[in-house]
Amino acid sequence: MSSTLFRCKPVYAFARQRRPFVLHRRPPDPVPSGLAELLEKHSHRPPTPLTLSTLLSLGRPPTPKSVLTSVSYVQAEIPRRLAQRVKSLQELPFIVGTNPFVARILEAHRTSFLWLATQPSVRTLEDNADFISQLETLVQSHANDIPTLARGFQECTRYMSSTQISNFLDGAIRNRIAVRLLAEQHIALSRALNSSEEVMDRIGVVELACSPAHTIKMCGAWVSELCEATLGASPEITLDGDVDATFVYVPVHLEYIATEILKNSFRATVEHHYKHHGMSSRGPIPPVIITVCPSRKLDGRSHIGLRIRDQGGGVSPANMARIFSYAFTTADRSTGREEIGGGPYAAQHVGGGAAVGVGSVGEGNLFEEMTGKGLQVGMGTIAGLGYGLPMSRLYARYFDGSLNLLSLDGWGSDVFVQLRCLDEAGEMEV
Amino acid sequence: MFTSAARSTPWICRSCATKTSECTKRFQSTSALQFYQNRQLELYASKEAKRLTLRQLVFFGRSMNEERLIQSANYVRTELPVRIAHRIRDLQTLPYVVVTQEGVARVYELYWSAFEKFRRYPEIKTMSDNEAFCTFLQNILEDHATVIPSLSLGLSLSSPYLPPDELDSFMRRMLVSRISRRVLAEHHIALSNHVAGRSALPGEGNVGIIDTTLNVSESIRKCVKFLRERPFDLEDDQVVVQDEDRAWPDVLVEGHLNTKFSYIKEHLEYIVFELLKNSMRATGLKHQDKPVLPPILATIAASTDEIGIRISDQGGGLVIPYITSPSDLFSFSHIRNAARLETSRIGALRTVSSSKHGMKATMNEQMQWWKRRQRDSAPTLRADAPIEDIEMEAGVAPHPRIGIGLPMSNIFARYFGGSLELVSLDGWGTDVYVRLPKLGTNLEGIEL
Repeated sequence: MSSTLFRCKPVYAFARQRRPFVLHRRPPDPVPSGLAELLEKHSHRPPTPLTLSTLLSLGRPPTPKSVLTSVSYVQAEIPRRLAQRVKSLQELPFIVGTNPFVARILEAHRTSFLWLATQPSVRTLEDNADFISQLETLVQSHANDIPTLARGFQECTRYMSSTQISNFLDGAIRNRIAVRLLAEQHIALSRALNSSEEVMDRIGVVELACSPAHTIKMCGAWVSELCEATLGASPEITLDGDVDATFVYVPVHLEYIATEILKNSFRATVEHHYKHHGMSSRGPIPPVIITVCPSRKLDGRSHIGLRIRDQGGGVSPANMARIFSYAFTTADRSTGREEIGGGPYAAQHVGGGAAVGVGSVGEGNLFEEMTGKGLQVGMGTIAGLGYGLPMSRLYARYFDGSLNLLSLDGWGSDVFVQLRCLDEAGEMEV
Repeated sequence: MFTSAARSTPWICRSCATKTSECTKRFQSTSALQFYQNRQLELYASKEAKRLTLRQLVFFGRSMNEERLIQSANYVRTELPVRIAHRIRDLQTLPYVVVTQEGVARVYELYWSAFEKFRRYPEIKTMSDNEAFCTFLQNILEDHATVIPSLSLGLSLSSPYLPPDELDSFMRRMLVSRISRRVLAEHHIALSNHVAGRSALPGEGNVGIIDTTLNVSESIRKCVKFLRERPFDLEDDQVVVQDEDRAWPDVLVEGHLNTKFSYIKEHLEYIVFELLKNSMRATGLKHQDKPVLPPILATIAASTDEIGIRISDQGGGLVIPYITSPSDLFSFSHIRNAARLETSRIGALRTVSSSKHGMKATMNEQMQWWKRRQRDSAPTLRADAPIEDIEMEAGVAPHPRIGIGLPMSNIFARYFGGSLELVSLDGWGTDVYVRLPKLGTNLEGIEL
């Protein structure tokens, strides 16, 4: 039974007694006392400082000792961070906490935290093997957290200001990025230790020669399919600049950023084109031009710079102030449309709902299938959530990078992304 | 010791026969006089400036006849001293050490003198009065040609005494007010010329100095043409490149090519000119080894409320050691932009501010400099050459790099409520976004 606001038991009891139907409202159960104690214990632990260079050194190369060191970090840090998440969820206004989507997230985090906090210390590689397969399931279970939270907050705009929602989500997403990084890094290291092949080009989830051009082409192909499927056409991608440049980075982060920005650009380009040339236009759709350029900043730090330029009509000055706020979207969200096809966003809406898993697990969520990346990135839809830009910016900023959007209203937009080369970011704390 | 004649003889102190900028005694006595005369100034400064919108300027200018022209003359006559008074009061509140600085002191004198002249100017009643008034206006405009470089020089030298925010906002108020006064004066002169039948109507769209059918891509192409006609000549700390056979980069224009709107053509062209000049220079410096320089892309975008122009180059971006963000390039404070106090920069400012021609911040003025320089680099100097040419020849031109282009473009863009934004793709190139209001309904951006 998926979460319902009111417990059903009292109703049945009364019905059997043939009394008139009276629904008793019960407040949700309080925090179980054992859980509360554990939460306090873990959230107040001093953080185990973990720098990027330490993290990477554990995988260069992975040894039994380094893998066991890695698991000790995981067992110290992840429960602490999950405890912070649970606490901040519990501190949301009560009415928000009773929203079924938000409640689901709280429940999921509590469960994960409890499991991790009650695990005995992993001391052997065999135990580690068990541990990582359960860790993997745990991470997978959180794959759709953000769309779920998004849905929940959409319904709670009456009860929280957009600043409050923003601050909460910023913290939640940053925390989530950190937890996944730690977990996935450890899982990857453990696997690397066991695998016979020598992996020279990566250290866990960090790739030593991550190619922006390659990533963009790959994400571009995926977004292109999505765009064709929903809008009937998609623009080409042109790459220029230093196309062969590579750098040390976490590829899934770059993929997420690239995908979200390309989704925005592709959608805007096609819609703008149709608006000006008609729906049945066969004229050429202007390409999205991506320029890649490595640079060394004045403080000596190397970066890769990306500029994604589209002719999607730009952003009006009125909207510019809001594009980085969560849940700002120009996609049509009318839910009650009965027309055939439901317009271009019917798939989105269904997909959006499917991504959130309104039905029970295993009903064949449209986008979980399309994702194929499962574990690490929930692709969502091409439009509608309004989280793409603010989240991409959080991802970019996570390792001290930046993301900026400039627009020529009436013509198109330019998104500027700067990402730091991680081999020179050793001192950064994860 | 001081007669009114002394007041009007520029730059020589009667009592010690040195340049007034070096004579403190004169300043002390004049300033005592001015202290007690300040009441008049305060009277004017207490009035509010009557700001206009572009539309109002056009509307008023369209239905010109003699009566309205005289109204316009008296509006200019009474409005300008109010605006000047505000600026003088502004100067008076700056630290003493700043206003006695070279450059600033000169501007202070100029403004006082202009204020006095306007204050005393009689009411204009007839067309011939207006003729005289226009001549008077023209002279004042000429006199004030050195204000921009003088002020830049003085304020840059004053960087140590003023926090950067204060310095920059003061400079912005001064320059915006200056633009506004020139706009009013030149607009009135242009309208007078038209009514008097002196100017053949340049085009259907022109009303005074405003072109109501300003064609953006045409203006861009005009700037490109002028810029590409220059001899190829780059100078940097490490590099001097002069090459007659080399061509400046091409500029590709895309976007809404038929965009037309109402604006002051000179302003738009100055902004585009300066930006393209910077782009061409950066491109030339970055790609010295290439036979053909990569092109610059200019994109025109018209939306409901504004006209956007994006200039995108491959000049390597803004990886400049002495600034922390691109907007520091608009600053006059050496704390934000250390280049302001570079010796060559200060020297160049001194040169331009002491030259007869000064700097009016127009595209035409720069083209004339270049043309003169081209002529002057001819091997023989004609003996009968007019005096000004010889002056120029005497070692002042080439148009020195004084670093005003970006700050002035920024101020021009913001004058009617537009904006200028710089973004760097470090290592690749720079994108500049100019946005100008399309509807002409914003008030002048002068601060009161």
